[in-house]
Amino acid sequence: MTVELNGTTAEIVSDDPLVIKNVKNWFHSHSYGGWSRFFKGLRDSKLLATRCTNPECKEKRLWLPPRCDCPDCWSRMEWVPAPTVGVIITHTTVQYPGALFRASPPCPLISVSIEGVCTKLMSYLKEGTPRIGMPVRAVFNTTKPTNTILDLAWVPR
Amino acid sequence: MIRFGPGNLRIPKFERPVYVVAGGMTDFRKRYPEKNSCELCMDALRMAAEENDLKVSPEELRRSVNWCVYSQFADHFGDQLLAAAKIHDYLGFDPLGNIEVKTGGATGGSAVLAAAQAVASGYASCVPVVGWERMDEVSTKVGNSYIASAACKDFESELGWMYASYYALMAQRYQYENEVPRESLAKIACKNHDYARFSPYSQNPGKYTVADILKNDIVSDPLSFLECCVMSVGAAVLILADEQTAFKLTDHPVQLTAICGGTHTLRTADRRNMPILLLPNETEDTYKHYFDGKRDEWPGFSSFLAARTAAYLAYHMAGIKDPLEDFDLLETHDAFTISDIQTYEDIGLRPYGRGREFIDSGDAYFEGRLPTNLSGGLIGTMHAVGATGIFQMVELMWQLQGKWDKFHGDPERWTRYGKTKPEDYRNLQVPNAKRGCAVSHAGTGSHVTVTILERA
Repeated sequence: MTVELNGTTAEIVSDDPLVIKNVKNWFHSHSYGGWSRFFKGLRDSKLLATRCTNPECKEKRLWLPPRCDCPDCWSRMEWVPAPTVGVIITHTTVQYPGALFRASPPCPLISVSIEGVCTKLMSYLKEGTPRIGMPVRAVFNTTKPTNTILDLAWVPR
Repeated sequence: MIRFGPGNLRIPKFERPVYVVAGGMTDFRKRYPEKNSCELCMDALRMAAEENDLKVSPEELRRSVNWCVYSQFADHFGDQLLAAAKIHDYLGFDPLGNIEVKTGGATGGSAVLAAAQAVASGYASCVPVVGWERMDEVSTKVGNSYIASAACKDFESELGWMYASYYALMAQRYQYENEVPRESLAKIACKNHDYARFSPYSQNPGKYTVADILKNDIVSDPLSFLECCVMSVGAAVLILADEQTAFKLTDHPVQLTAICGGTHTLRTADRRNMPILLLPNETEDTYKHYFDGKRDEWPGFSSFLAARTAAYLAYHMAGIKDPLEDFDLLETHDAFTISDIQTYEDIGLRPYGRGREFIDSGDAYFEGRLPTNLSGGLIGTMHAVGATGIFQMVELMWQLQGKWDKFHGDPERWTRYGKTKPEDYRNLQVPNAKRGCAVSHAGTGSHVTVTILERA
């Protein structure tokens, strides 16, 4: 029996010490699982949140990012539309993003406070210059969706 | 959790005392192709065994070990699953048991916590904690993406793939709520880059003015490059032991009187408001006017509940009444200047909203009331993530043993790493240091450990 190498050569980066390139070229099939409803909702310009169904639970507000299960009482949550207006509570501008970033820098990041929602959604401002207290409304990228959280953005209102 | 049940805040206790006896580290570099991760861990272990004035030979130390804890943040970076097994074998510890701990940036702190639990319970009597990170196999841009994989990949990572930006969001809110001069943040960067000049292990030493920091290129406003931690390759080792073993190994063990962990949501977005958890040096009165201004919630984006929880538990465990009075030294996880100011408040050096006073007053400096990050910290010296929390405690231990100068001032050490000891070298040994505290921190505050070391 003879074993043949398949002819692939690891490219050399440096000879002393010997450093080679380990190339990877594959993908992960990532499931949003129970949160799929939120991400599919963005395609239809819908902002979907969740709410605990347990009448005894003290947390009556909406969760956005949504959760399928309540962290306070471990009951199941139900899906409800969230308000599509909010206020910027903080912001920054990404100048040097990491390699996987799908948008163009500089990109203004914002955290949005929405009435009746117990969390402060992280997102980005598609137009204008952010400031704390700025009223904003949600816009949806429906023409060529990225199928990620980037399909939700905000503009001044 | 915004309401605690009766069992939630039980104060941890050790069944028997825990000591640290020896420590070691490599120097820290952006790229370190000369040595693989096994060799780096061996270098740190060898320093722990050979250079800490132990009463036993390295071989006898090895024969005393009965359990090991490994500390590496990201398999992504090392590109080697079960790297701990490879390193455990390389260090000659097979077939002893081991575990590898992972809690993001706080991995080093959590690894020492796991080792302390083993010693305190009687499960083990001599435990090396070995931490490392190899962050140089990929470009900095890919490295930043890997690090941002430790944010929520569904709802937050995509927004920049950049941790500095997630901290910048907190910085903007903190500045808005507390009207902190930009200069106060910059002073922290100046201090830590400067102290790194006196460390042969440091990666990013430098003498900067506040103006230099402020005109430095912005990563994500308001944070400049010089206000962010380095990305490093290197290793650190700390050896823990029970009382009998500790005094067999050394005449100068340091007692680990408390180590406690806290957590908070990985997504900064998900932080709901709750009443402020009070430390022993605070009362309801401390915060009577806290919400009178622009602050409308706690912990919000300005405070780390994980750090406050860990400090609350550790202070009660070690009997700390006032950290500013009771500690002689502090090592914080200064990943970014903003997180350092936040941490000053979380661990009770100043009440919430007044963290800047800790740096502005001079308290945080060598010869101040509570010298902080004399090691150079993460901004000046290193952030080889899995090694970081261990590195902090090794530096504290050397200070408490009065050996800081031995490990930093010897010209041979500088030569060892291809460096020259600076002519204006300062010996940063704190005279008669008795008690120190180290804060190890992950994510945007997802995990924090607070450790208290005391001269035995």
